[in-house]
Amino acid sequence: MAEVVSGVWRVVPARVGAGFPGVPANRFAFRPQGEVTEGCRLPVLRRNQDNEDEWPLAEILSVKDISGRKLFYVHYIDFNKRLDEWVTHDRLDLKKIQFPKKEAKTPTKNGLPGSRPGSPEREVKRKVEVVSPATPVPASTETTQASVFPQNGSARRAVAAQPGRKRKSNCLGTDEDSQDSSDGIPSAPRMTGSLVSDRSHDDIITRMKNIECIELGRHRLKPWYFSPYPQELTTLPVLYLCEFCLKYVKSLKCLQRHLTKCDLRHPPGNEIYRKGTISFFEIDGRKNKSYSQNLCLLAKCFLDHKTLYYDTDPFLFYVMTEYDCKGFHIVGYFSKEKESTEDYNVACILTLPPYQRRGYGKLLIEFSYELSKVEGKTGTPEKPLSDLGLLSYRSYWSQTILEILMNLKSENGERPQITINEISEITSIKKEDVISTLQYLNLINYYKGQYILTLSEDIVDGHERAMLKRILRIDSKCLHFTPKDWSKRGKW
Amino acid sequence: MSKLSFRARALDAAKPLPVYRGKDMPDLNDCVSINRAVPQMPTGMEKEEESEHHLQRAISAQQVFREKKESMVIPVPEAESNVNYYNRLYKGEFKQPKQFIHIQPFNLDNEQPDYDMDSEDETLLNRLNRKMEIKPLQFEIMIDRLEKASSNQLVTLQEAKLLLNEDDYLIKAVYDYWVRKRKNCRGPSLIPQIKQEKRDGSTNNDPYVAFRRRTEKMQTRKNRKNDEASYEKMLKLRREFSRAITILEMIKRREKTKRELLHLTLEVVEKRYHLGDYGGEILNEVKLNRPDKEMSTTPATLHNGNHHKVQECKVKHPHHPSLKEDMSDVVRQKKKYPKKPKIESVITPQQPTTEPLPVISKSDIKQYDFHSSDEDEFPQVPSPVSEPEEENDPDGPCAFRRRAGCQYYAPRLDQTNYSCENSELAELDKLRYRHCLTTLTVPRRCIGFARRRIGRGGRVIMDRISTEHDPVLKQIDPEMLNSFSSSSQTVDFSSNFSRTNASNKHCENRLSLSEIISNIRSCRLQCFQPRLLNLQDSDSEECTSRKPGQTVNNKRVSAASVALLNTSKNGISVTGGITEEQFQTHQQQLVQMQRQQLAQLQQKQQSQHSSQQTHPKAQGSSTSDCMSKTLDSASAHFAASAVVSAPAPSRSEVTKEQNTSHNNINGVVQPSGTSKTLYSTNMALSSSPGISAVQLVRTVGHSTTNHLIPALCTSSPQTLPMNNSCLTNAVHLNNVSVVSPVNVHINARTSAPSPTALKLATVAASMDRVPKVTPSSAISSIARENHEPERLGLNGIAETTVAMEVT
Repeated sequence: MAEVVSGVWRVVPARVGAGFPGVPANRFAFRPQGEVTEGCRLPVLRRNQDNEDEWPLAEILSVKDISGRKLFYVHYIDFNKRLDEWVTHDRLDLKKIQFPKKEAKTPTKNGLPGSRPGSPEREVKRKVEVVSPATPVPASTETTQASVFPQNGSARRAVAAQPGRKRKSNCLGTDEDSQDSSDGIPSAPRMTGSLVSDRSHDDIITRMKNIECIELGRHRLKPWYFSPYPQELTTLPVLYLCEFCLKYVKSLKCLQRHLTKCDLRHPPGNEIYRKGTISFFEIDGRKNKSYSQNLCLLAKCFLDHKTLYYDTDPFLFYVMTEYDCKGFHIVGYFSKEKESTEDYNVACILTLPPYQRRGYGKLLIEFSYELSKVEGKTGTPEKPLSDLGLLSYRSYWSQTILEILMNLKSENGERPQITINEISEITSIKKEDVISTLQYLNLINYYKGQYILTLSEDIVDGHERAMLKRILRIDSKCLHFTPKDWSKRGKW
Repeated sequence: MSKLSFRARALDAAKPLPVYRGKDMPDLNDCVSINRAVPQMPTGMEKEEESEHHLQRAISAQQVFREKKESMVIPVPEAESNVNYYNRLYKGEFKQPKQFIHIQPFNLDNEQPDYDMDSEDETLLNRLNRKMEIKPLQFEIMIDRLEKASSNQLVTLQEAKLLLNEDDYLIKAVYDYWVRKRKNCRGPSLIPQIKQEKRDGSTNNDPYVAFRRRTEKMQTRKNRKNDEASYEKMLKLRREFSRAITILEMIKRREKTKRELLHLTLEVVEKRYHLGDYGGEILNEVKLNRPDKEMSTTPATLHNGNHHKVQECKVKHPHHPSLKEDMSDVVRQKKKYPKKPKIESVITPQQPTTEPLPVISKSDIKQYDFHSSDEDEFPQVPSPVSEPEEENDPDGPCAFRRRAGCQYYAPRLDQTNYSCENSELAELDKLRYRHCLTTLTVPRRCIGFARRRIGRGGRVIMDRISTEHDPVLKQIDPEMLNSFSSSSQTVDFSSNFSRTNASNKHCENRLSLSEIISNIRSCRLQCFQPRLLNLQDSDSEECTSRKPGQTVNNKRVSAASVALLNTSKNGISVTGGITEEQFQTHQQQLVQMQRQQLAQLQQKQQSQHSSQQTHPKAQGSSTSDCMSKTLDSASAHFAASAVVSAPAPSRSEVTKEQNTSHNNINGVVQPSGTSKTLYSTNMALSSSPGISAVQLVRTVGHSTTNHLIPALCTSSPQTLPMNNSCLTNAVHLNNVSVVSPVNVHINARTSAPSPTALKLATVAASMDRVPKVTPSSAISSIARENHEPERLGLNGIAETTVAMEVT
């Protein structure tokens, strides 16, 4: 008896592997005559960065009809959401379409706020299908799903890559609710930090980009993720932002008008670092709410896990700018809790897309650790990291640690040595991050009864090559920063 | 070999790790897998994202190539940087300032409208501009105001007119346009705004609602402990602040008074200068004429810190560090000025008491001083006297050195340098230094100067001292101290004295009752009044008075019965003064009289007689006739503090007053005339002249005190505890000198000296040699006889009445 139960429960680890390519076909019922609806999975044509055509598997998240032409919002399975896009019908490989398996429990689940179907649309459609499977249901033409399903915002546990899992577990006959119960009713996110690690608020709306394009100064940015700009602005082809105060307006005319009134030519904060054209401005999230909020709205377009649930009061924003004759142009920023209970020295960090892959990200990271050095603390970025965040941080950590290790001088002919704590103190990188980096670089070995660090040739070479490319560095002499003791203040 | 140490120890972050490079590198085959020992660190990414294709590719590419390959980067949506109208949009240039940019937080809110005109508005504007001029900014302000004034409901045109300070036609046009546009608007406002949270929580999951307020305060780890401590600190701070406020207010008051004083002094000097009053004669004259008035004005008392008023008498010290001292010094010097404008420079310190101006009586001078002084409570304290000596004549190594931060009182010169020539006030002051004018509740009278001590078992012991003023003090009615309404009620006895006892020098200097009272009232004299006992029930009083002498509450024991009652009962009420001669001559006679227990009849007679005497006095307040009749005025001079040495510990002061009706000051028999007048005025006359009481006071044996006793108190018999030696007839007043002043003070014209008085005199004589013997034993024995038998039964204290016979 107990074994049976445990057998049922053993399904749980099986879900971990969900979402990998090569999902067994039998999970999805094949319906050649079916309409392409939300929840369907099928290969979608996509051009990769090498300009090659690929047909990765994708999931239809939404369908809209614009002047008789259907558009499908697709999420490429195992690709980051930022690559999700609206595609036309001709990019769908309908021959390989997998329809979402109708769920047995759909009727009962429908009203439950704690359940987590993939999306309300899917759910409703599925329900309809249950009633009349043969009748194709026309996809909704609304652009804003919220208007169709006013209650859909409530407690959807939408798991981006998880519908498959769910179905898988359904196929295996597990009780889905038994797992869902642990999730409980979603509540407000934790009040510390800027990032959400649980996706209880990640419903279909927030899974989809809502802004087509943002014009910021010279740049036109394609947002990667949802951002809660005023809803009436989400239908615009372009959202215009003032480059300096980041105010959002609906049209170029409005921006022109705004610029006659806005005399900012730099972020509205105190400059605490300047070297060359690079400057850093510190902005208090409580004192300068409007800028902080505008910055967060913009940043949310490029940060998936960032939450704007709460106000910006407990944060400081460090905005990196590049100066030219027009002013101090925002390049990137990171936010930081005034008081962190978990040694976070960065909450959110972002290099705006036009400046990416040019070393600014690492500069931001370096700056954040410089601040920690001034504070005399070690720090670590708030989790979860994004893929780009992980790569950037790993790269920074690797370079920083390798720099130290390679510069170690042997004393008295003895082999140079260093402790992990020393590395942490020198760099302000939290000890765990030091260890994980050493591990990632495969530097730690156990030799003759003790741990050693080994710097192989290719590591050294790779590091030297990387450092050659790393031109932008923070000069701590140019930093004019006095940390405040926020704990002594009543408010943030 | 290395396989043996397969189980590696955990990685210790504090342990040095040797770094091997290049050729030194050991063969990795020799190295042991550390997978177990060093746990794999989490990447910090979301699990499902960690497996994303591009990331994995990038990671593996990095692992392989040790650097990023262009093709292996994670693809992101493209961004263009080709806005060609940028330069037209962002006009002008911005020069980088040399200094770091520092913004003032208040500069952030500019008054610019949040609304930005769009092209649709521009069309309207162009249309409107044909008829009138309207600028874009003007239009934006209008829309901005309309938007911000409306919530869900749009403002009406009327409201809009109030809101907008524009031409009516323009308002109408813009308003109509706005309403139309607002209706077509898809958003809640023409100014796009982030969706706000709603209180009802319905927006908790609305993804478009952002920047919710943090309702629960973020828990920071710190502010838990010190709550109580900081609260206490705040309380302390508050206390200290309020103290500072008090001090500052006092300083303010003081300075104001000082200024006032200065002005007044200057005025006086000026006036005197104009009058040519260089010798101070006119001033003296003026002052003599209005002592009462001066006394009645309560001087502004300015206190320094927490000192009690009475004690306040600070030394003027030249090197006192505080500014305040210096300032008061200046003031003091200035106020000396009027006295000796010609003789002394302004800076001259005050002269000793032997100052010139002989015409002005000492007290007057002091009074003047007093009023002009900004901090001395006692005019008679010549604190600055010592100044020159202090400065010029240091005592060498033994010199008294002041400590910083300490406040010192002026030395009481009047005490050490006592001389008969000193003024009465000085005398009083000296007494007051240790003794305080004391009033008993029961019997309700003033007993003169006394000092309280706590004896064994909580007994309160009164040490009394007799002064020249006792006759006067004796007359003080405690009621008067409480309800002293007008000076008209009191008679200036000093003047009486000066007339009646012209020969007596001292009488001239004696303070008047009114003066004393006013002194008390103005808190210049300390006057002790115990809390009121129940006086209503005379019987109970009697009872209490009859309580054993060993009882704890001596005050209560010593309480005297109410005068009237006593009078009726004991019937011996004698008012009289005695001279020494009388004393001696009638001694035996009086003893006899006492023993025979003077008849009540006789007493009644006397009381009637005395009342008859009092009336005219009271009405006319003429003393001449009274004096002729009332020889008893002499009794005033028999202010006797009966000194009882108490061998038994239980012995305590016993104040027994069998006095009829009036407030005897313990041990002090005031002149009967005085008492009479007092009666007539204050108490609406009652009965007989007082039988003065004798209070038995255990002396502490100050010779000085005794020495000072100017007069023996005549009066009342005393009851002493049974076990006391007081039963013996050996009653001795301890000092002859006690008697002698009596002689001086009393003009020997008194008739019918009271027997007790005589006794006291003898006692006094004997006391000289046997100081420890109770002086009043004789009296007490008499007293016993005088009293009802039950009294005798009292253990210890019984009341006795001594008839002071008035002739």
